[in-house]
Amino acid sequence: MASPGGQGGALSTRGGGGTSRRMKWALELSLGSTRSRSERQGGQGDVVYPIGYSEKPVPDTSIQETDKNLVEKRCWDVALGPLKQIPMNLFIMYMSGNTISIFPIMMVCMMAWRPIQALMSMSATFKLLESSSQQWLQGLVYLVGNLLGSALAIYKCQSMGLLPTHSSDWLAFIEPPQRMEFMGGGMVL
Amino acid sequence: MERLILLCLKCIILSIAVEAVFEDQVGKFDWRQKYVGKVRFSHFDTHSQSSKKVLLATEKNVFAALNTRTGELLWRHVDKTGPEGNIDAFLQHGQDALLVVGNGRLLRSWEINVGGLNWEIVLDSGSFQSACLVGQQDTVKHVAVLKKTAISLHYLFNGHQKWIENLPDSETVDYQAVYSGGNGEVYVLGVVPHSHITIVAYSVEDGEIIKQVSVEAPWLSNIQASCAVVGQGMLTCVDSATVSLYMLDLHVQSQMTQIPLQSLGLQTAPGFHPALVSTQPNPARPPLSEFLLHLGPEHYLLLQLNSGLIVTLRDFKPAMLVSFATTGEKTIAAVMSPKNKTACSVNLFSAESGRRLLDTGLIFNMDPNGGKPEKLYVQAFLKKDDSVGYRVMVQTEDHTLTFIQQPGRVIWTREEALSDVVTMEMVDLPLTGTQAELEGEFGKKADGLLSMVLKRLSSQFILLQAWISHLWKLFYDARKPRSQVKNDVTIENLSRDEFNLQKMMVMVTASGKLFGIDSKTGSILWRHNLDNIPAHAAFKLMVQRTTAHFPHPPQCTLLIKDKDTGLATLHVFNPIFGKKSHITPPTLPQPILQSLILPLMDQDYAKVLLLVDDQYKVSAFPSTKNVLQQLQEMASSIFFYLVDSSQGRLSGYRLRTDLSTELIWEVIIPAEVQTIVSVKGKRPNEHVHSQGRVMGDRSVLYKYLNPNLLAVVTESTDLHQERSFIGILLIDGVTGRIFHEAIQRKAKGPVHVVHSENWVVYEYWSTKSRRNEFSVIELYEGMEMYNSTVFSSLDRPHAPQVLQQSYIFPASISTIEATLTEKGITSRHLLIGLSSGGILSLPKMFLDPRRPEIVSEQIREENLIPYAPELPIRTEWFINYNQTVSRVRGIYTAPSGLESTCLVVAYGLDIYQTRVYPSKQFDVLKDDYDYMLISSVLFALFFATMISKRLAEVKLLNRAWR
Repeated sequence: MASPGGQGGALSTRGGGGTSRRMKWALELSLGSTRSRSERQGGQGDVVYPIGYSEKPVPDTSIQETDKNLVEKRCWDVALGPLKQIPMNLFIMYMSGNTISIFPIMMVCMMAWRPIQALMSMSATFKLLESSSQQWLQGLVYLVGNLLGSALAIYKCQSMGLLPTHSSDWLAFIEPPQRMEFMGGGMVL
Repeated sequence: MERLILLCLKCIILSIAVEAVFEDQVGKFDWRQKYVGKVRFSHFDTHSQSSKKVLLATEKNVFAALNTRTGELLWRHVDKTGPEGNIDAFLQHGQDALLVVGNGRLLRSWEINVGGLNWEIVLDSGSFQSACLVGQQDTVKHVAVLKKTAISLHYLFNGHQKWIENLPDSETVDYQAVYSGGNGEVYVLGVVPHSHITIVAYSVEDGEIIKQVSVEAPWLSNIQASCAVVGQGMLTCVDSATVSLYMLDLHVQSQMTQIPLQSLGLQTAPGFHPALVSTQPNPARPPLSEFLLHLGPEHYLLLQLNSGLIVTLRDFKPAMLVSFATTGEKTIAAVMSPKNKTACSVNLFSAESGRRLLDTGLIFNMDPNGGKPEKLYVQAFLKKDDSVGYRVMVQTEDHTLTFIQQPGRVIWTREEALSDVVTMEMVDLPLTGTQAELEGEFGKKADGLLSMVLKRLSSQFILLQAWISHLWKLFYDARKPRSQVKNDVTIENLSRDEFNLQKMMVMVTASGKLFGIDSKTGSILWRHNLDNIPAHAAFKLMVQRTTAHFPHPPQCTLLIKDKDTGLATLHVFNPIFGKKSHITPPTLPQPILQSLILPLMDQDYAKVLLLVDDQYKVSAFPSTKNVLQQLQEMASSIFFYLVDSSQGRLSGYRLRTDLSTELIWEVIIPAEVQTIVSVKGKRPNEHVHSQGRVMGDRSVLYKYLNPNLLAVVTESTDLHQERSFIGILLIDGVTGRIFHEAIQRKAKGPVHVVHSENWVVYEYWSTKSRRNEFSVIELYEGMEMYNSTVFSSLDRPHAPQVLQQSYIFPASISTIEATLTEKGITSRHLLIGLSSGGILSLPKMFLDPRRPEIVSEQIREENLIPYAPELPIRTEWFINYNQTVSRVRGIYTAPSGLESTCLVVAYGLDIYQTRVYPSKQFDVLKDDYDYMLISSVLFALFFATMISKRLAEVKLLNRAWR
């Protein structure tokens, strides 16, 4: 037999780990409350409730309010994470330059890999955002942020000349043309 | 600080990549063979008994000494080619060899031991006639040189002229011979053809004419061909018309005495011009009174002049060759007579008596693939018991020199025909028997599962067997000292190596002898002398079937065309074994103009050879039904072009289905103004990997790769240095469309040209600036390709973009060729044969018409070298380091199985074979790759991981117990 307060506690823990600790149980010794309890359960005879039992749910509505806000905030943090990294990436991009050497390549790889990784684990992120009311919007922002990140990586690749966008990049795959005529001869021997 | 800078400099120098060979690589994959050419004069060094030298003066203007023990060159002097360096006469006295060079232009004296020049003097102008040594009182101090109008006497020790005298009546009298008998007089013999002989005697001391005699001789036209001085100054002549000998004493004015040959009981062979051979062992003494009369094709007589009478000492019949030799006081005659079909025997006869000397027989086995003996040189020496021993050097018609010792042991042979290679091909070696067995399995038709399995098992078993025997051989050889282990290459154990680096070089020489040479070692594996080669022959060698079509043998065809009659013959042979093929080539009754080899194959995988005759009709070889049918289908796409330089006409023809042709285009270059010197197409086996060039902005400039493009080089007929010019014409061989024409004014040939990919490089002499210049033309299609799948000359509306640039080259050139690799990925180099004997490998990068004068960012991206007019010559670019290759006439390049490696053969007077790596060896580990270090490090690391893993486990366990 779980108390409603216990239930609320369970809910609140699910809502966000960061919310403040609530009461698990409460002991009410005032008469007023006993009366009201007897009013409600009059049909069942005079049952004495055990000590510590409270018919009324634990009054923690104000706490619930702040908790919700915190969850929202937390979710927004998660969703905006990729977007916040973009200025940082831009700075790194600027600093690393366009030469092809080991460090810029490593940077570009990191930059490209992180959004891709994030996009791959999209479903896990969605689960995190489940509690939020703006789940879909946040998901969208998260997606856009990651896409922007990868676009930035692609742009960097492009400016470094790593993308096969020019005809010269496909030159090696052109087969020599087949000759249609056979010709021979020379000086008269 | 200085030290630090020095150290840095050293590091920089060491870190620059070295392209040349390292010292320990010398001779590892290159070899050189030196030749001298066809021997014209030869003398054995006789001034000391123990001498091991034979001196040769050749038709290639080479003067050389050979070691008679080994046949190797002791020293060699190569003079200019052509008449300028022609060796007219060769006289030997003691340690000095006297040469008259360049039609009497120079007189040289050589020291024969080391080959140093004693002296050289320039003679007065005039065409050379004859020369002889002049002796007096048993010492030889002078040499007399007879020219058309003058005779001069020179000291032997310094070459200074003692006197020079003009010859009397030199306009009418043709002075031909000079003779000295050691009595203080020099006789000059002249002839007025069919009238009389003029004899002028000069005093050696001051050149005064002692006497001048004219003797009637209406039958005589050429003294040197039919006369000789015999005995005490008896001029003896032989005349075929009157069949008599004529004798005249030079010392006494008299008439010619006629001795009919019939009176000696002799008869000449009809149509044969008899000749006389006399010998003068010591120039300070008169010639011997014994002489040889060459009476018939295989008939010689040893005659003796005995107080005005002629006595027959010995009749040599049959005798192919006879030669005199002198050792000490003894003079002998060596006679070569046929023994049987494959062997000749040589015997010695005493010159004085004509008796045969005992135990002097020598057998000369004639090579069935060689020619007949042509000349006999005898080295006679006195043995310890005072009897005469001898060795002979036989020169055969195929220019081979064979040195033989009694009783017939061949000490060495030299194939001098190889000094004149005309054309060559490199053919892949066949697979080994076992490999071929495996390969053959795929070619066979499937006949049941079981039999296929059995076949596979049997071939695998054969492979296993071969492997075991190989291992056994390795084991067996390992026990022997290294010097004894020889891996001789013979025809039997020839097989392709892993990377196809070893190939068969098939060489065709001007004398008509074919050679098969192993490219790895340079040993001659087969030789074949073709009979009845005309004097002016053109050769064209074609590979009809390669070794790739087992079990069909590879097949080469040599087209031999007589330039005088125009008639041609075909010689079909197996290039690996040199054997004549059993396939009978077609007889060609009509003169042949050209041939072309088609990529078309008959059912036996032989490529089809088309021969165009002077009626412009085409015949095919092989001409089976299958081939003719294929030809009919293909006829409309087969074209050929002919270039007639005498008329200045270029013409293109199309094949009709009935194997006749129709003229489709013609270009006339007026032969009075300029002559066509050469026409170069592309090599059919050339691959171009990249279809374009990447620009700085990463767009592509597509190459214009027209396989039918021809580069035609012309030279002006006017050779005046102000007006001479050379021209180059780029023309399509199918349509006759001219893409580009360039004229270089104030330039002169010889023009050397290379045509490959989308570029043409040519070299000429600029008479204006007096230097060699290179010019490069590159053709580009532009930024877009018209049709990237097929190339048809008939459907290319846009003319290519032409870029051209010229450079100065600071050396004179004898030939150019471009490297060639399997897939054409490796960058190209130009191989330049210099007249100095070096072979330079010049990166094509330097000859690039896009080299900019002003460097921009984009151009730097493209790695173009900024334009500099002068091409550099770096010493490490000489691929033949110090192995000078004399008179390079051609360079042949062939791809190997490795993309990085190109095989190079330079031929001329010498033959040099090597490998080049234009982009370094990117597909092979270096020779000095440290396998030991790498593998030991690997093993050490492996064991270290094992041990540390174990230790870590122990430690973990211990910690868990704690």
